[in-house]
Order: sequence, then structure tokens, then C-alpha cells
Amino acid sequence: MKLIRVTKGNFLFQLGKREKQLLFQVLRLYPRIPPATFRLSKIGKLPDAEENQRLLDESLAEQREQNRKILNTFLADPRRFTDTESGIRLSVSPSELEWLLQILNDVRVGSWIILGSPEHGLEFKLLNDKTAPDFWAMEMSGQFQMRFLEALEKREV
Amino acid sequence: MPIVSLNCAAGYPQLRRHSMPLHSARRALDNSCLLLYVATMAETATPEVTPGTIQTTEEKPKSDLDPGYVVICWNDPVNYMDYVTHVFQIVFGWARKKAEFHMLQVHEQGKSILKRDSMEKAEHYVHQLQRYSLHATMERDE
Repeated sequence: MKLIRVTKGNFLFQLGKREKQLLFQVLRLYPRIPPATFRLSKIGKLPDAEENQRLLDESLAEQREQNRKILNTFLADPRRFTDTESGIRLSVSPSELEWLLQILNDVRVGSWIILGSPEHGLEFKLLNDKTAPDFWAMEMSGQFQMRFLEALEKREV
Repeated sequence: MPIVSLNCAAGYPQLRRHSMPLHSARRALDNSCLLLYVATMAETATPEVTPGTIQTTEEKPKSDLDPGYVVICWNDPVNYMDYVTHVFQIVFGWARKKAEFHMLQVHEQGKSILKRDSMEKAEHYVHQLQRYSLHATMERDE
């Protein structure tokens, strides 16, 4: 996947058919982070801690549900991906790109959690037939994430 | 197609506003009484304030006046450094250099204090960071 053009209101990427399939496969894994993973406080000395934690969990769950609906619309939109002679074009706005980054990172972090949150460098000791799909999801979502981040950096320059 | 709004500045929970803070009430009193005071009062006298004419607020507890809470981002081995930098720029509106400084602090020291603020705003920031799947929490500023 490579960036073809960036304007103020639009990013245009080109990708191959296989890349498009991979992107779809990765995005369809959303949401991957198990519910109630995030804590409001680590030390836990907040007033109304339980109630505030419950509100945070609810809010994140609601957002996840909303994202899932938007994602279904995104993937089903025929104008989103257009076939050309040289490949497939993907057009996204800056806010959509931000949103895609959130989705992809959920898949990446969620896969890492499913793998047991391994420390850096130790994760490949866990690689086997059973864990391979989670490794694949973690690495593939990271690859697309980096392409999108590079595109955002080009806009900044 | 509607896509989530990422304007992080918008949507802060509004902080509870009490009546005029004490120092503002005093300033208002000073301004309105200044001429009368100069013209009629002896220099050694202090201006009299009729009880009940000025509605001063009670001294608010220190915890309400001070930021009181810190937003912390914790290190993890899964989030890319570029991604963390980008999220800090978006959530806090920071320049890249400042965002990179905090990202490196997270990476090298295990955590970084990103903000000191009221409880409401700290909650808002933590929620924003967690939307991006970063490991962020808020703690009392002790």
C-alpha cells in the first residue's frame, strides 16, 4: 500500500487486490481488546472509584459498538475502494484516517493481550500453530498502521 | 459517512462553576468604592463594607482549586513509538517535539506524567488516550 496523493481533505492510497483482502481481514477482527481491560486508575485512590470505572467501561463499550457499526458501513461502501488499471484506490479523509488508526491499534493491542501480553523480544517464544493467527493479526495491523502514520507525517511536512 | 469526531478540545465535561470567586468580588468592590474612598475616608481608615451587600463565596477546599490529578501514560511493548507520539499530538494538541519528549519518557522511564488537571479533565484525557488503546490512568497528585 502506498500513498498516491495527499490534499488538505483527502488521502489517496493505492493497494493491490491481496493487500485489500488483508486490510479487510484485519479490520473485521475489530474489536479485539477484551472488555474492561482499561482501568481509570492504577493506584486506586480516586473518589467514587467503582462508579467512575463503571462509567468508563460503559463509555468504551458504547464507543466500540458505534465503531463496529461505522466499520461495517466503511467496508461495505463500494465507493471507498475503486478499481483502476494499476490497482485499487482507497480514499479517506483525515478524520477517517485517525479513526482507522484507532481501529487498527485496537486489533494490534488486543492480539497482544490475547497472546498473554509478552514482553518485547519474548513474544516469538510463544509462536506456534495455535498462536500464529494472533501474531499475524498483531503484525499485520501494525504494518497498516505504519503506512497510515507515514501518510499523516507527509501531510505535516 | 459519519466518522467519529476527533476534536479533543470539544466535549469537555463542564466544570461546576460556583459564584464569583473571592478575589474577583474583592476587585469589584475595590473598583466601585475607590472614588468614594479617596474623597471621604481618612487614609488610615479601612473602607467599611456593609454586611450582606457583597456576596462572597466560601473559600473552596484546596482540592477544588488545585488541579489535583495527574494523567499518566505507562509503557508497554506493543504500541509503536510513532503512534504514541501521534496520539499525544492529537489528544493534547502538542507540537511534535513535546509529544516526542513524553513518548521517550514513557519508553525510557516506564511512565510519563502528561497533565496535571482537575478530576473532570483528567478523566476526559484518560478516556481519549484509552480510545487509542494506550495504557493511561489518572492518579491523585500527591
